[in-house]
Amino acid sequence: MTAPVLTEPDAAAPPAPSLAARVIRGVLPYVLALVLAFVVAGIVIAALGYDPVEAYRTIFTTSFKTNFGFTETLTKWVPLTLLALGFTIPLAVGRFNIGGEGQLLVGATAAAGVGIVYADLPAAVLLPMVILAGVLAGSVWAGIAALLMGRFHVNEILSTVLLNFVSFQVLDYAATEVWTDPAAGVAATRGVGEGAELPTLGGPPGVHAGLLLAVAVTLVTILVTRRTAAGFELRAAGTNPRAAGINGIRVERVAVFALIVGGALGGLAGALEVSGVHGRAIEGMQTNFLLLGIIIGLIARGSAVWVPVVAFGIAILEVGASSMQRTVGVPAEMVLIIEALILIFLLLSDVIAGRLARRVT
Amino acid sequence: MNEFAVLAQLTVVAMVPYLLASLGTMLGGLAGVFSVSQEGVMLLGASVGFLVSYGTGSSTVGVLVAAGVGAVFGFALGWATTVLRLDQFVVGLALFFAATGLAGLLYRIVIGQTATTPLVDTLPRLDIPLLSDIPLLGIALFSHNLLVYLAALLAVGLWFFLYRTRAGLNLRSVGENPKAADSLGIPVVRTRLWTTAAGGALMGVAGAFLPLVYTGTFTEGIVGGRGWLAIALTFFGGWRPQFIVAGALFFATMDVVALRAEVSGIDIPSQVLLVIPYVATLVVMVFAFRWARVPEFLGRNYDRESRTG
Repeated sequence: MTAPVLTEPDAAAPPAPSLAARVIRGVLPYVLALVLAFVVAGIVIAALGYDPVEAYRTIFTTSFKTNFGFTETLTKWVPLTLLALGFTIPLAVGRFNIGGEGQLLVGATAAAGVGIVYADLPAAVLLPMVILAGVLAGSVWAGIAALLMGRFHVNEILSTVLLNFVSFQVLDYAATEVWTDPAAGVAATRGVGEGAELPTLGGPPGVHAGLLLAVAVTLVTILVTRRTAAGFELRAAGTNPRAAGINGIRVERVAVFALIVGGALGGLAGALEVSGVHGRAIEGMQTNFLLLGIIIGLIARGSAVWVPVVAFGIAILEVGASSMQRTVGVPAEMVLIIEALILIFLLLSDVIAGRLARRVT
Repeated sequence: MNEFAVLAQLTVVAMVPYLLASLGTMLGGLAGVFSVSQEGVMLLGASVGFLVSYGTGSSTVGVLVAAGVGAVFGFALGWATTVLRLDQFVVGLALFFAATGLAGLLYRIVIGQTATTPLVDTLPRLDIPLLSDIPLLGIALFSHNLLVYLAALLAVGLWFFLYRTRAGLNLRSVGENPKAADSLGIPVVRTRLWTTAAGGALMGVAGAFLPLVYTGTFTEGIVGGRGWLAIALTFFGGWRPQFIVAGALFFATMDVVALRAEVSGIDIPSQVLLVIPYVATLVVMVFAFRWARVPEFLGRNYDRESRTG
């Protein structure tokens, strides 16, 4: 009698992929995606009767030509990175947080509210309160979706998205009924107290100090997801929920927690926009941060290390877009098409690169 | 009493975009492909539908082109998830972005910035002879534009097709158990391709309905979450046409109630009224996700060579 065979006798570990295969899988898709996206968009720009070379030169140089352009790029980088991380952290457990917009807006509303009501407090007290208010509001907002998901199995894509539409009205109520500023010309709250405004770094014109906070948050996210037990549980619950569950990880609870953390980052982004950029909460202040955050998270393939890098690239495109519209005349909407094309071509290139890599191993 | 008839008529009109978008979602979903690009495809349908109607002067052409563009996006989703087997949610989101960007860009290119809002004629109302003379019901049900009637016929037709014909049974088997369907010779990939394309076409028409019936013009916020609500509605309706119609009635009623209460000047902040449809949907979903039957293979890609799939 032989012992029962638990593994197939010829089941060996697959050979480690060669360097060439790894380069093809890792680098080639990005190169292909970027080249294809800009070529296709360039053809469209040319077909519309503009000069694509001039358009691209404006896009890529605006951020680096002047102090102002570079400052604007860094300022854009802050909410983009935070929203992208807010998307990728739940994504690690396989959940889609499409509610960054709402989390940002309620965070901004709460931060502005605290900054207005306690306007007389000194900065040392008020500033932490304002930022904390934003973070809390964002977590509560995502917490509603997390509760519905964890307890009632309501699809989180739907609940987070629907809460975005509710958040528009929350901000509208605050801006038109509670802390209204009739002199603003647009629907906006009054300005926050001086103590609620973030100091400026460098300059002129300078970047608000929230940049440091965003960098710190990014570093902490990288450390936690890669080097701690909590981060391991997060990744395990995402890659193989069944195996994780058998090994004692409570997958549903990890998912709920990840979604709430994602909301906290969205709320933080809102608070920083209020206390660092606008000095108040304004309707429409979220522009297209939601879409961009998701695009960044997907292009970075959910990696916290690559999110800040991709976010910087997207910030350059966004800052260049308005300048391109002014000087070359190409509609700024073109840039959203380029960004979507990069993502689509990246997905397609993955397939091509996967097939090529299999051939060289 | 007359006011009741008018309200009922408004509600029936408001049902149509939900119904079309949701039936489109259902069609792809029953074959196993879950789309999340409704909001974008509807916005593109609205933009294209408006622009073509504006350019050609024919709203029929506008609706048809919107359907065609929607079909292209639906087909792209089907192709990327069946032939290339890419993740359905990620591809859906990417197409949502592309459609959103394209909608704004096309409007900007064709219309540019104008001082006056460009307008098209909204679809004419066709009274059905005799039936439209019935008191109350006549105005509510039989005095609408052509698209309303077509949407109703489509819902009935889809129900008959899916639950009373062999082809419909085959289609549903692809979304329930593609391996079994495949072994019986049902073309899984081809089924997924045509259902997602047809579903996309319906979403495009749902979008075109908004400028061509409601506003006569295109704005960036014209869809206003209806695409996402349509996904919720599809779950709520248990992926079956008859319940989706009932759900669409609920969503449309919420829309009309919010609108009506605002006009009538009840002393409630307008913001509270405007969130009614979204909050009601969130509450309803708590129950919907308990009883709703979802196609077994929804959201998953089929790999003929995989052992587990």
